[in-house]
Amino acid sequence: MRINTSKFRLSLICWLVLSPLVVIILFPFAVMFLTAVKPAEEVFVYPARWLPSVFRWSNFADMWDATKFGVALKNSLYVSLSSTLLAIAVSIPAAYAMARFPFRGKGFYRQFLLVTQMLSPILLVIGLFRLAAMIHWGEGNLVDKHISVIVAYAAFNIAFAVWMMSSYFATIPKDLEESAWLEGCGRAKAVWKVFLPLAVPAMTVTAIFTFINAWNEFAVVYTLIRSDANKTLTVQITDLVAGRYTVEWHQVMAATLLATLPVSVLFAWLQRYLVKGLALGAVK
Amino acid sequence: MSRTAFGRPLLPWLLILPSFALALFIICYPVYNIVFQSVHEVSRFGLIKGFCGLDNFRKVFADPIFIASLWRTLWWTLGVVGGTVLVSVPVALILHLDFYGRGVARTIVMLPWSVSLTMTAIVWRWAFNDEYGMVNVTLQRLGFIDAPIQWLATSNWAFPVEILVGILVSVPFTVTIFLGGLSSVPGDIYEAARIDGASTWQQFRRLTLPLLRPFINMAIVLNVIYVFNSFPIIWVMTQGGPSNGTHILVTYLYEKGFRLGKPGEAAAISLVMLAMLLCFTALYLKIQPKAKDGEGA
Repeated sequence: MRINTSKFRLSLICWLVLSPLVVIILFPFAVMFLTAVKPAEEVFVYPARWLPSVFRWSNFADMWDATKFGVALKNSLYVSLSSTLLAIAVSIPAAYAMARFPFRGKGFYRQFLLVTQMLSPILLVIGLFRLAAMIHWGEGNLVDKHISVIVAYAAFNIAFAVWMMSSYFATIPKDLEESAWLEGCGRAKAVWKVFLPLAVPAMTVTAIFTFINAWNEFAVVYTLIRSDANKTLTVQITDLVAGRYTVEWHQVMAATLLATLPVSVLFAWLQRYLVKGLALGAVK
Repeated sequence: MSRTAFGRPLLPWLLILPSFALALFIICYPVYNIVFQSVHEVSRFGLIKGFCGLDNFRKVFADPIFIASLWRTLWWTLGVVGGTVLVSVPVALILHLDFYGRGVARTIVMLPWSVSLTMTAIVWRWAFNDEYGMVNVTLQRLGFIDAPIQWLATSNWAFPVEILVGILVSVPFTVTIFLGGLSSVPGDIYEAARIDGASTWQQFRRLTLPLLRPFINMAIVLNVIYVFNSFPIIWVMTQGGPSNGTHILVTYLYEKGFRLGKPGEAAAISLVMLAMLLCFTALYLKIQPKAKDGEGA
């Protein structure tokens, strides 16, 4: 009983100390939601009010048509899924090598990955644009093509994917594979039969975070994609705000909410794996 | 075959090759291209007009907006990274305690990470709207201010506001690293310290902080790199304005390259930034104590 009351007091103090941060974190979500459901005529009323007089759910339907949300959503899904698959496909073998083999050049590769993290897309954006403009593709070049964004995202996510997966792979006991060899199983077959099934959770988690990275990225797609038909959500929604005299804020907030919420829920569900994976990678 | 594969030096390289090739291609060509453009006169549409030596660099360094952005970038990086670490250490310590609702608290603290920086910036831009934004409304209701503040219309307010948003979005990642660090600390050393009569503060100063040290260094390095390169917050909230008062190097680089039609000078700015990052990394590697097993991150 005494233990419980002291834990209760501790909890109270913890929440009290965290409360300013919690308020600031939840603030934009409240702004998003309450603006999104406000009737248009209440958005620009002075003095402004937090609560709408009625919840205008039809804002979402109006926004969907007005902002071409569906097209951008499809583009975002396509670009994020493809780049994730590509990044994971090339990172699995690398992560396996980093986790299982001692070899010359391992340190070099690790440093190389660190450098790729350092050279963020925005630093290279001038060169990336030239690269896309230079490569012939179909009738023209790779500017305004999804494939250029996909390959760029995949490349910039390799460091994260290798780092995450190799730290998880290292926690899968080697003995399991070794005992499979003793039973006459070849190395490749042992990997396929024993290692991969155990590695699926790590690969899934990494893939989901890579997906979220791609989903949220801005600079590359902002530079490489030009036409409305090819824009992804981040760029499409930014275009509703940037350089406009009148911004339909209730629609913009409805759009940000729809673009954000599914990813936030997914992230909230999976964040504890991130804590573990990054921590393992950081010290190993 | 299976056993000898272990000792074969080629196999790991074959496994690494696909990722290595892809990353190398996407990174090396643009780097080469940027170096090339930076020493050439380049038209608005990317046509190379001719070699011009260091002219682009000379122009860039003679540009007062560039110099101002350079200093502002330092303040931006220092402000965001410093603020983030100061907030994240206590938050991580709390989230490491065992209390009711810890899972919920962790999830809430991680939330900003899941939202695209672009979306965060859009929402805050609306929240800081001078007449209709919820920040002014709330502050006025609570009686903190009498009249609405023009948050984003003057760079004196806009830039600190952007730094605060920068801190907010960097906290989750940093807390994650610290939590990982704290969970790797064995619990029994605290037991031993308590038996020896160490106070909570002593335990923090003498045990937690030194053990957290490598993780703090790690977080500082990664955050400096990310924050230095951070584009969407400032670009979406103020586009470097008003009157170029919130430009940092990345936003100015983008404006030069894609708005003002000066790819050559933009490439030069890229290279200056690259040099700064390299100096920082070299400095870090120099002052970092050598990892024991020779393969520290």
